[in-house]
Amino acid sequence: MIPFNFDYYKPSTAYEAVATYQMAADAGKEVLYYSGGTEFITFARTNQLKADVVIDLKSIPECTVLEQNGSECVIGSAVSLNELVTFNLFPLLGETVKRIADHTSRNKITIGGNVNSRLIYREGLLPFLLADAKVKIARKEKEEIVPLADLYKQEITLEPGSFVVQFIVDHAYTTLPFSTLKKTRMSQVGYPIVTVSALKKDQDIRFAFSGVCQYPFRSFEMEKILSDGTMPEQDRIEQALSKLPGPILHDSYASAGYREFVFKNTLADTLQMMEGNQ
Amino acid sequence: MKYYGTTVGKSEQRVDVVGKATGKVKYVGDYHVPGLLHAKLVTSTEAHAWIKSIDTTKAWEVPGVRAIVLGDAFPYHIGPILADRPPLAFKKVRYYGEPIAIIVADSEHQGKLAASLVEVEYEPLPVVNSVKQAFGPDAPIIHEDLGNYTKIISNVYPVPGTNIGSHIKIRKGDFATAWAACEETISATYSFNLSDHAAMETRSTSVEINPDGKVVVHSCTQSPYTIKKVLNQFFNIEVGDVVVHVPVVGGAFGGKGTVQLEPLAYLASKAVGGKMVKLQYEREEDMITAPCHIGVDMTIKLGATKEGEILAGQYTFLIDAGAYTDQAAGITRAMALDCTGPYHIPHVWCDSYCMYTNHPFATSFRGYGHPELTFGIERTMDKFAKQLKIDPVVLRLKNAIKPGHTSPTQSILTAHNIGDAAKCIERAKELIEWDQNKETLVDENIVRSKGISLFWKTSTTATNAQAGVVLTFEADGTLNLNCAAIELGQGTKTVLAQIVAEKLQMNINDIHVNMEVNTQYDPHQWRTVASSTTFLAGRAALLAAEDAIRQLKKTAAIALQCSEEDLEVGGSRVYIKSNPQHAIPFKDVSYGYKFPNGHAVGGQVVGVGTYIQKHLTPMDKETGFGDVGPWWSVGAQAIEVEWNKRDCTYKMLRAVTVLDGGTILNPRAAEQQMRGGMFLGLSWASTESFVFDESAITQNPNFRNYQMIRFGEQPTEYLVDFVETPAADGPYGARGIGEYGVIGAAAALGNSLSRAADVELDHLPLIPELIWQTKKESGR
Repeated sequence: MIPFNFDYYKPSTAYEAVATYQMAADAGKEVLYYSGGTEFITFARTNQLKADVVIDLKSIPECTVLEQNGSECVIGSAVSLNELVTFNLFPLLGETVKRIADHTSRNKITIGGNVNSRLIYREGLLPFLLADAKVKIARKEKEEIVPLADLYKQEITLEPGSFVVQFIVDHAYTTLPFSTLKKTRMSQVGYPIVTVSALKKDQDIRFAFSGVCQYPFRSFEMEKILSDGTMPEQDRIEQALSKLPGPILHDSYASAGYREFVFKNTLADTLQMMEGNQ
Repeated sequence: MKYYGTTVGKSEQRVDVVGKATGKVKYVGDYHVPGLLHAKLVTSTEAHAWIKSIDTTKAWEVPGVRAIVLGDAFPYHIGPILADRPPLAFKKVRYYGEPIAIIVADSEHQGKLAASLVEVEYEPLPVVNSVKQAFGPDAPIIHEDLGNYTKIISNVYPVPGTNIGSHIKIRKGDFATAWAACEETISATYSFNLSDHAAMETRSTSVEINPDGKVVVHSCTQSPYTIKKVLNQFFNIEVGDVVVHVPVVGGAFGGKGTVQLEPLAYLASKAVGGKMVKLQYEREEDMITAPCHIGVDMTIKLGATKEGEILAGQYTFLIDAGAYTDQAAGITRAMALDCTGPYHIPHVWCDSYCMYTNHPFATSFRGYGHPELTFGIERTMDKFAKQLKIDPVVLRLKNAIKPGHTSPTQSILTAHNIGDAAKCIERAKELIEWDQNKETLVDENIVRSKGISLFWKTSTTATNAQAGVVLTFEADGTLNLNCAAIELGQGTKTVLAQIVAEKLQMNINDIHVNMEVNTQYDPHQWRTVASSTTFLAGRAALLAAEDAIRQLKKTAAIALQCSEEDLEVGGSRVYIKSNPQHAIPFKDVSYGYKFPNGHAVGGQVVGVGTYIQKHLTPMDKETGFGDVGPWWSVGAQAIEVEWNKRDCTYKMLRAVTVLDGGTILNPRAAEQQMRGGMFLGLSWASTESFVFDESAITQNPNFRNYQMIRFGEQPTEYLVDFVETPAADGPYGARGIGEYGVIGAAAALGNSLSRAADVELDHLPLIPELIWQTKKESGR
């Protein structure tokens, strides 16, 4: 049970949502956007999150779009993970989000909620990072479309009151060979010790990771090493490991040592799958 | 002789199935009445600290707050075995999550908000974060007043000035001499942390104090009469003034056997003039504020001849009871009295310690110390077999306990009080195909491997544990079965109906089983724990049925103008043995018989039966000597796994349970009990554990982070079979079977994985990381 009272708004346009946010924020209130609600409920009920006003984005038609629009694949931020799996417009995304939480939760969790999660995993980001996705942002004055890479600094950085309306992926990326592997402590369901998603464009393999460091990331440096077919696989993996953007996580799911072991195995599996694809 | 009856031995449909399958069953938490108030707890954010001050100013400002109860409202200790726990912490907190204050409010969310605004100032103390530390010489002392605590039962031996809540000893034979003579010896240490019961229904209660002084409790408990006892013993309420109602319980696994919420809800109700107050734990509270499942550190030493005949065993158990002894003190005793496992060991030395730590406190968990004990015993048996170069099954068979032997407490085992261990393991061996490839290479990375375990358990009930059954009749000749056995998913009410139907030779569908328990009109029952209900309540049910039959015959003899001895019952009729056509239906005699002229005789039939344990004794303080349980059920379990060499992950393939449960009253229900037990045991063994940081703060008190195995991750196949050596004392030869499916699961899994990975896996949970770590440390 959520102990505190809050106001609930359900705007039907992005403009209305932003305006509502602004109004409440100007009144000195703590405001939150949400769509699936799984994270808001679970954190609010344990006093780890508080809000005076919540704005539900699920009734904004733009946020629920899921379509192939000419050469672009458009994915609304309020689309549920299970819808992404069912309609499978972007198979790498479908396969990746299929392993987030459990089926019942995926009925509620939305892609926008997952990529903006307070938790460190945000595996829904990996396919977008790999596919050079763009995001449509609702801002105070206007909506604009910007490359995800420009906004992504360990998390999607947006000024207060702005929110992600859609993800836009060039259709060509949705047909490329890919692999996505998630390893957990024990159960099929659970946070990743390691998630490795990969996409092959031309001769290069792109890699993005979750669970390894404090945030999800794609690393050009590691990609370069891992795609270097002149080196034996083991060496590539060892060298790539030295280019991690931060220390390997050490927590109650896995020690850093075990995580490294799993990471190496998963990289080897990914390389095998992607190079076997030639 | 095996008994084959008309309903006993048949897989009757469970009497509670329709309500549960349609979701219409109401649990305690589902009940709301006008004017109900809600209690919410303020819990400790420190694991060990002095409470300097508690400021409730801000909490009082929340609308709807009616009362705030602090520890000084009841600054006394309670507990089932040793009274060492204040219901609300006062002066000191001893675990993270311990109740400090109760907020009573009009609604749950107001109470919860107010609870978050209570400001507690602590003076942190050094924490005791493991049993080893607790047992060490320089450990901080958690209970300064240990010497002054009241003993509620006799077999508890706290050691003042230490963190030992109880020390139980077994001294059988001459261990020292026998040990010195052993040609082969082995010593091994095992450990695992505390964990959770994780029942679907979180604990919940409501309490009101009527103006006439009656205290009315609704609770999801396994022990309604213990709630009465606790409120009487510690709160000075006349025992007759406490009425406890229990609807069905949504899973318990031992966790609802002890009494924690009801005294809190009582204090809350008292603070608001006796109004009804509901206290319902959220999942996080259910996991760590409520009592959980013990952790253990144990060292086992076995000595044998070169041929593998075990002569001596030494057992040292350090049981992590957490902050308070609760039932862990009883588990300390239970692990000691069955310490050898089902093996004939003439010389036994056991020290079983109930250790205080600053972890959440522990209570009974399905198996009462035996799944934990068995993990250590059976891992050691496998290692010893390897050392002796004997097949693990052969070593077990060689030493399996039999009638004529004695238990560690020197109880004499007879053909009637112990099952057939050898038969169980032989059958388990067949089912798992033990002799064909104990390990196989499936491909370059996948190893298939098998592990086996043998186990036993007696039920250490109170020596005067008892049950009663009352049968009343409806006007149509069907009957009502009233008994205070709690239905918690184990099927006890169905089995009781079968026993009554069998005795009365009637259709089980004509028996209406009262699912709810009300202590005011149900006859007293000890508790629904310890796999004892089929035995205790089953015997009472038999006698109640016999009592009803006597009364039915008496009236029928008048109606049929014959002697009672000429009569028999069957098919809801009383008939003349020599001429079964000549009969009178129950409905014409169960409310008395009415002659055509209107005169009536006989009166209504009320069948009453009671049963009490016989010949049980406490244990001697120095040697453990005593008759501690009515019978020992024995069984064997086995599991086959597929283990991946490369990444240390594994899959569970086949899981086998063979149990000697005496006569199996309801085969499908019994089989399901075993499957459920294996699931619970394998989930605990493979993945479940609380994680504590260096300040003894539980890191995973929620299902986001506390992992269990999920549907689809269970073994691909369960194989269950029963050996049916009838128990002379049991109803129709039945023994208790409720807990047994859990007991050997962890051991069998540990044995199969140790064999697959070729390392000794001596800790739980058996996650891939543990296997990887163990391999790394052993240089393999």
